[in-house]
Amino acid sequence: MTEKNFQNFDLRQKVRRLLLYIIITSFAILVLFPFFWMILVAMKDEGEVFKLSLKLAKPFYKNFVEVWKNPYYPFWRFFLNSVIVSVSGGVITTFICALGGYVFAKKDFYFKEQLFWFLLSTMMIPGMMFLVPQFAIVTKLRWMNTYQGMVLPHVASVFGLFLMRQYMQTIPDEIIESARIDGAKELQIFFRLIVPLSVTVITMLFLLSFLFHWSNFLWQLVVNTPESDKLTLPVGLALYKGQYEVFWTKLMAASCYSIIPIVILFLFAQKYFIQGLTVGALKE
Amino acid sequence: MKRKLYDTITAYLFLLPFLIFFFSFLAYPIVYSFYLSLRKVTVETSFYNIFSDMKFCGIENYVRLLKDTEFWFSLLTTFYYGILSISIGMFVSFLLAAILNSKLKGFKIYRSAFFLPNVLDMLVVGIIWTLLYAPQYGIITKVANAIGMVLPQKGILGDPRTALLGVVIACVLKNCGYGMILFLAAMQNISPSVYEAAEIDGVSEIQKHVYITLPLIKPIIFFLIVTGTIGVLNSFTEIYAMTAGGPIATLFGKTYKATQVTGYYLFLQWERMDYGFAAAVSYVLLIITLIFSFVYSKILRWK
Repeated sequence: MTEKNFQNFDLRQKVRRLLLYIIITSFAILVLFPFFWMILVAMKDEGEVFKLSLKLAKPFYKNFVEVWKNPYYPFWRFFLNSVIVSVSGGVITTFICALGGYVFAKKDFYFKEQLFWFLLSTMMIPGMMFLVPQFAIVTKLRWMNTYQGMVLPHVASVFGLFLMRQYMQTIPDEIIESARIDGAKELQIFFRLIVPLSVTVITMLFLLSFLFHWSNFLWQLVVNTPESDKLTLPVGLALYKGQYEVFWTKLMAASCYSIIPIVILFLFAQKYFIQGLTVGALKE
Repeated sequence: MKRKLYDTITAYLFLLPFLIFFFSFLAYPIVYSFYLSLRKVTVETSFYNIFSDMKFCGIENYVRLLKDTEFWFSLLTTFYYGILSISIGMFVSFLLAAILNSKLKGFKIYRSAFFLPNVLDMLVVGIIWTLLYAPQYGIITKVANAIGMVLPQKGILGDPRTALLGVVIACVLKNCGYGMILFLAAMQNISPSVYEAAEIDGVSEIQKHVYITLPLIKPIIFFLIVTGTIGVLNSFTEIYAMTAGGPIATLFGKTYKATQVTGYYLFLQWERMDYGFAAAVSYVLLIITLIFSFVYSKILRWK
């Protein structure tokens, strides 16, 4: 190659890279723009919503305070309910899946394979299928407008069981055997040995099931009647939007209460979210 | 033998909590749903005990369902929605992954930015988009007008021709990061020397992806189609938040709702307290899912 050709090639490479940066950056702006707009509108006065300006309300946090204190739509209460539902859903799911995943990973028992395939095959069924029968069961149990009604029908996560099993299979059998020889009981082995060795996957599943319950809108809508005091954030938002003429600044401020905590959680723990959500796909 | 018996007892004790929840809220409902689908709520049904007091009606609900054009239209809508969202979503995910894979600076920041919306609540994201799409005054309409594009008078979500596409765009931008991460993971397994060899042979950028990358990421494509199908059959929240099934469209002299997917249709039957009928809808949905998984598993084996 002559010197000139070489320079041309170099220039072409540079232009190409620049082009890639432009495409990817505009996509990133597009993807994040709705959230920027949500925060911006939440800080505006109602009259400014549709103006393309950066003029903020005085004080800029006005809407956040008003929404929080709204007597008819108490968003502090919705927020609290969402936290209770998501934390308890996360804890219960993680606990029962860890117990189950452990025996699928480390024990040999009758009907193990059959049970495992039966459980896995239900993963193919769309959750929408369960709406009516689960609603009927919850009604019969008189669990309408309760936390247990919102949480318990959705804690048996086959995905979670699978995730736990995958991870716990990597724990060497020798450690478990030697603990057993030292006289450890089954529960001791699980709590003193398996759990500490599985902190990563436990965190992962807790975060994912927390997230699942945080956004489990349809079910929370179905289990609560509008006058329930157990309404969660998304249900409260949906009712608020449906009730009056839409006050966009208030609606966006209320949306921030649902989005921003999750964004913060994501920024701190993104490794767990990404690994947890992709592990199922990449194992196959 | 004795060891296995002992292990079996311990194993089922450990599994007990999971299995209690699994059988009461996932396995039993599949059977129970069928039972309900053969019954209906009548005027005599006690309001306080609806589900124990429904009357047996044979396959009446199924007959009614098969005759209901609204149901068939919702299936068509779901199908159309699935094709649009899965293909556009996959294309965008692949494009982003291919670009990010060419060793750009700030790789991690871009990756987080694209993945972030995945973990956010669909309902809230849907509400934000209704603001962005608002007719006449919404920012998207304003930007489109500024560059000389004419959007429908009633807004993208208000016009039956564009409403479903509007929902798809919002969902693709929310979810594309997931497919991107999967594609990226697969691409990073491909050794750079393969591409270098191809470059020396004078293969173009696009050919490189068609002949080298594509065959190696086939399993991911398959996975995204399967999970995408389940997701589409499940789709409800985005429709509830953005269009509530509307706007009304006219086809062959009948009126239909342009974004009423089957999941939303099922919800409406529940809302009308037509529980037997809604159970029948769920069962037909289950059968459709089974057909899809059967076809997919055949394709997988055939490959």
